[in-house]
Amino acid sequence: MELFTPDFGLVFWMFVAFIILFLVLAKWGWPAIIKQMEGRADAIDKGVEYAREAKEQLDNAKQSAQQVIDEAQARQADILREAAKMKSQIIEEAKKEASEEARKVMEQAKVSIEQSRKEAELQFRNEVSKFSLDIAEKMVRGQLRNDEEQQKLVSKMLDEIEKN
Amino acid sequence: MRKKLAILFSIISVLFLSFPAFASEGEKGKVDVKGNIFHHLADGYGWEVPFSHTYRIPLPVIVRAEDGSWHCFSSGRLAKYEEETNAEGKTHTVAVPQIVDIEKDGNPQAYRFVLAHESKHKDKVVQLLPTSPADEAQAEQTAKAQNDEIVDGYVKFDGKYYKEYKPFDISITKNVLALFIAAALVTWMVMGLVRFYSRNGFKAPRKGMGFLELCVDFIYTGVIKSTLGAKATKFAPYLLTAFFFILVMNLLGLVVIFPGGANLTGNIAITLVLAVMTFVVTNINGNKHYWKEIFWPDVPLFLKFPLPIMQIIEIFGMFTKPAALCVRLFANMMGGHMIVLTLTLLIFIFAVYGAAVAGVSTLMSLLFSIFMLLLDVLVSFIQAYVFTLLSTIFISMAVEEHEDHHKTVEDMA
Repeated sequence: MELFTPDFGLVFWMFVAFIILFLVLAKWGWPAIIKQMEGRADAIDKGVEYAREAKEQLDNAKQSAQQVIDEAQARQADILREAAKMKSQIIEEAKKEASEEARKVMEQAKVSIEQSRKEAELQFRNEVSKFSLDIAEKMVRGQLRNDEEQQKLVSKMLDEIEKN
Repeated sequence: MRKKLAILFSIISVLFLSFPAFASEGEKGKVDVKGNIFHHLADGYGWEVPFSHTYRIPLPVIVRAEDGSWHCFSSGRLAKYEEETNAEGKTHTVAVPQIVDIEKDGNPQAYRFVLAHESKHKDKVVQLLPTSPADEAQAEQTAKAQNDEIVDGYVKFDGKYYKEYKPFDISITKNVLALFIAAALVTWMVMGLVRFYSRNGFKAPRKGMGFLELCVDFIYTGVIKSTLGAKATKFAPYLLTAFFFILVMNLLGLVVIFPGGANLTGNIAITLVLAVMTFVVTNINGNKHYWKEIFWPDVPLFLKFPLPIMQIIEIFGMFTKPAALCVRLFANMMGGHMIVLTLTLLIFIFAVYGAAVAGVSTLMSLLFSIFMLLLDVLVSFIQAYVFTLLSTIFISMAVEEHEDHHKTVEDMA
């Protein structure tokens, strides 16, 4: 039967056609297509990976931003707390210092008052003694006669004054 | 949808209208079912045109005569068209076979070729050799003695016996032209895709080209790369060429009119060449392990020495594998064509039983034919795929490293 016996002419042309088709496509066809397809697949894979990484980075960035904000807030709170502490401390110190100063001033004032009082007392004494001397002199001048008695009297009187 | 229905009905009505013509033929004799089927499956020197039983698109006939000279002439010269009036007074054109005479050195009948009919080489171009009356008488005697018109070494033409010579024939027949058309189509498709890439860079193709790329990817990634691994790029050009060539030939065979209609992959010559290609690629690239498996397989010694039982089986297997490829593709495609042809011929077989039977059988045959053709589209893809898949597996078995083989087995387990 003709169908089952290969015809030589057809075998020959099939061989020729197939070899030519194969050579043409093997040179200019398939390698270019395969390269393109694989290149595109790689590009897509890379793109997906890149997008995934970008998303990860974005998530990380958000997270780190939140962290920074949290940190800043914590520090703010710390600073505020410290400031308040410092303020009270300063006030305390100022108060202490002021009271110390005041005490010193008071003490100085006391000392100087004491001194002045002593001076005044001394002066007063001197004055009084002078006055007394003057008075005594005057009295003495008046009673010049009895010098010895007079002097005794004077010192007795002076002692009495001193005691007062 | 309505438009499509209208087209379908017009096709059916055309078929009904054409009944009287065939019916009149049917009265003369029964429809030659077998002849019709094999005529449609076979090759030819011309290409049929739709709606004509007579005219053929002429194609070049290239033959080498007995003395070694090459001759090329149009197949249109193998027949002349004549008006014929039949018994009912209708005239129609018939093709009458005639001898093609080629002149040499003033001898107008130096080479005579004819399309053989009553000969061993039926439907082939044969050269007529000078025949003496004694030879002729002997041939007639032999014919009478064996009660058969076909006599070995002779061709009967126009009632006369001639000595024949079957020339070396590389004519551009219908199948050869269809082969070229299929090859051109594949080239056009593939180079179109390559051109698209060079123009559009990394842009992915859409629609038709996208589908082509999908097919390439389906075969390359799904079959070649997954089976051959790192060696994929070396064998991909052959396997992809085979796949697309087979696919286009299969699909062209399903188209009824001119660029299609040639039963290419249902012809054993075509599938034989394809199988031989796979055989050659497999054995040229076969590595040491492949040849060792053939000539010294891992079997008990008594199976391979002193009687080389395993070697004989293995060598036989080398040839049966591509032979199976060849026959599988051939039988599947030819079977599909045969079923469609048979279903179509049912119309003409039932036509003699009257209009009602003919109408029903037309509708049924039409529906079944359409279904079978759609199935054949699927089969076209599957057979091209199976051929490529099995070729890939044969090649991979020949080039696979032994260590790799073990690894894959372990991976599977």
